[in-house]
Amino acid sequence: MADTWADRLSRKAGYDERSAAILILPVFVVLMVVALYPIIYSFYTSLFDIVLTRPWRRPFVGYGNYARIFQDPMFWVAVQRTTVYTVVTVSITTVFALVVALLLNEAFPGRRLLSALILLPWATPSIVNGLMWKWIYDPGYGLLNGILVQVGLLESYTVWLGNPDRTLFMIANAAIWKQMPLAAILLLVSMKAIPQDLYRAATVDGANVFQRFWHVTLPALKPGLMLVLVYETMISIRHFDLFLIMTQGGPGDASYTLSWQIYVETFRNLKFGIGAALSYLLAIATFVLSYLFIRGFGSKS
Amino acid sequence: MAFPDRSRISRRSLLKASAAGGLVATTGGISATFGQGAPVNFTSWSAAVDQVRSHVSAFERATGLKVNYENFPWAQYRTSVVTRLVGNAPMDVLWVSDAWLPEFAEAGWLATIDDVPELMKYNADAAQFCTQSMVYKGKQYGLAYYGDHMSFIYNTEILQKAGITTPPTSWEEVVQQSLKIKQSGGPEFPMLMALGIDTWLIEFMSALVFAHGGRFVDASGNAIMADANRGVVEAVSWVREAIHTHKIVSPGAVETTEINALRAMGAGQHAFAIVPTYRLRALNDPSQAPAAGKLRPALMPRGPRATASATCGWIRFYGMTPGAKANAGRRANAVRFMEFFGGKDTTGSYTLQKLLLTDVGLPFCTTPLSADPEVQAFWTRWAGGGDVIAQQAATAVKKDVIAPWFGEWNETANAAWQSVFLNRATPQAAATAMAAKWKDLKG
Repeated sequence: MADTWADRLSRKAGYDERSAAILILPVFVVLMVVALYPIIYSFYTSLFDIVLTRPWRRPFVGYGNYARIFQDPMFWVAVQRTTVYTVVTVSITTVFALVVALLLNEAFPGRRLLSALILLPWATPSIVNGLMWKWIYDPGYGLLNGILVQVGLLESYTVWLGNPDRTLFMIANAAIWKQMPLAAILLLVSMKAIPQDLYRAATVDGANVFQRFWHVTLPALKPGLMLVLVYETMISIRHFDLFLIMTQGGPGDASYTLSWQIYVETFRNLKFGIGAALSYLLAIATFVLSYLFIRGFGSKS
Repeated sequence: MAFPDRSRISRRSLLKASAAGGLVATTGGISATFGQGAPVNFTSWSAAVDQVRSHVSAFERATGLKVNYENFPWAQYRTSVVTRLVGNAPMDVLWVSDAWLPEFAEAGWLATIDDVPELMKYNADAAQFCTQSMVYKGKQYGLAYYGDHMSFIYNTEILQKAGITTPPTSWEEVVQQSLKIKQSGGPEFPMLMALGIDTWLIEFMSALVFAHGGRFVDASGNAIMADANRGVVEAVSWVREAIHTHKIVSPGAVETTEINALRAMGAGQHAFAIVPTYRLRALNDPSQAPAAGKLRPALMPRGPRATASATCGWIRFYGMTPGAKANAGRRANAVRFMEFFGGKDTTGSYTLQKLLLTDVGLPFCTTPLSADPEVQAFWTRWAGGGDVIAQQAATAVKKDVIAPWFGEWNETANAAWQSVFLNRATPQAAATAMAAKWKDLKG
């Protein structure tokens, strides 16, 4: 078979795997510098007892920082709070997003406008979102209390964020409000890709709307759901900004999550060694959870 | 045509070069070594920025020196400064909180000024509490920026409506008057407390503990906070009962920060509050607070065991870095800067101290200024007179938990206190947890 002009040009220009590697090299180097080096260096840091306020000492402790973390009762408090927060946020976000995606997948007047409006919370900066919900929850002048009292669901203003039984759920609500729109759009895109023939066939077979959802929509949504679950888990498990703005880890230790502990150890106690070790543990947890989601969804399909 | 031989150095060139070299040695060289012409690198948090900028300009005009002024938000200040100090960033003079003095001094980030007579001479004019707050292990580390204390304030109108003629003098009276105010249709929560996790929480709690005649640690720095009769347990118990038994403090206090408390107090929503004294100016400013003119200071109420009123005081000061002190030129410039800002300026007056009070409300450490007619007029206008403030200032005690490990202990203390205020732990259990952490960190 005769060479095409493209093959001849490639040969002339030396376009082969080696050339491709050379062309990719600059990006690879940049990636190494901005991503891999910090990752390796932070692990290296986690092996030392680095406290910025004691700059004259920097003892190597090996895995000592990790051992100290596992012996610290506050770490287990943080693990528990992070687990509750992540489970609540991810599950409710996913369910709401699915419902919204199903709604937007139907044809009705104003659907395009609603699709655009529903993205607004996602476009709100995190800091603004935190401040807004903090004001809404305020026990003295908050909108939530005002509405609930006016409609008669509450007799008097109540404490929301300051009640440790509610704190995590109130923060989760603020997170869901912001994260749900993107998840809904991701699921909507997956729904649009489902062939209409499948629905027609199911209808011919006598499937009702719930059966069509269960046997057609849901299996076809698996890749989209996996994406949403992995993304939302990665976001929620590392959430920090809302905790900083709304509760500072309190009241008491009611919102003392892993990301908050990392902040306290690193930037308040200035213990960079412990902070790096905690960050590594959180990164490993994120990786394991993501892997389990991907593997779980993959095996079923 | 003959061209000059460029490879050879003529006698004239050699003389020129020698002269130039000599000039460099006597001007630029010395400048480089001693830093006479080098700018003063001044770092502060973002407070009183306009006043500081104007004084920086005045300093530059008066001395011919240049100032590199940079500021960071208070919330990130300590971290920002520490990372800059660790990274050997150019810093000559910086604002320091008394809470950080031990850790900064132990880390070698602050230079003593004991051997700088130009600065030490101002101790003669400074309140003893202020000077003591800048001393660590017998050495003084700075010159005051401002010194303040926690004040107990009350709303005259609310008390009047409830038929109360004088503010409370004991914490028991605070409860009784608050209940009377509630019964007479006053605010639901007459006593305002900012118990949210905030950098001010330690000052609030220290004021309460000192007002109960207590201390956190003894003279040797050993924790006594878990001893039931040493003030901490009693003070924390009072707050818990105020929230859960008497219901005179809002349960939302655990999420109320100092700035939110000011808004609420300024709006006239509460009868009593504990606030930093410097906030009185804003609280009594009609353009900022609807309750302006009705908020007056009273002496901090006493606990059952206390023999006199007491409160918590604090100081912020100008510190010099060891790097600046080690270089003769930088040291000279830094000393001039510190004197101009923390002492008298070139007019021989405490100009900035007075300006900070009259413009921002920041109390000073300079005792002779108290007699200044403008200062007296200020207190009359914004606080109904300066007598109570002066009396309370005389009782101010610095935080006794200031230690190199203060920051880490404070994290534990904040959570422990809040657990009590939420009724999730007993005062004794919280105090025991705080004491255990203190012992652990002290080693």
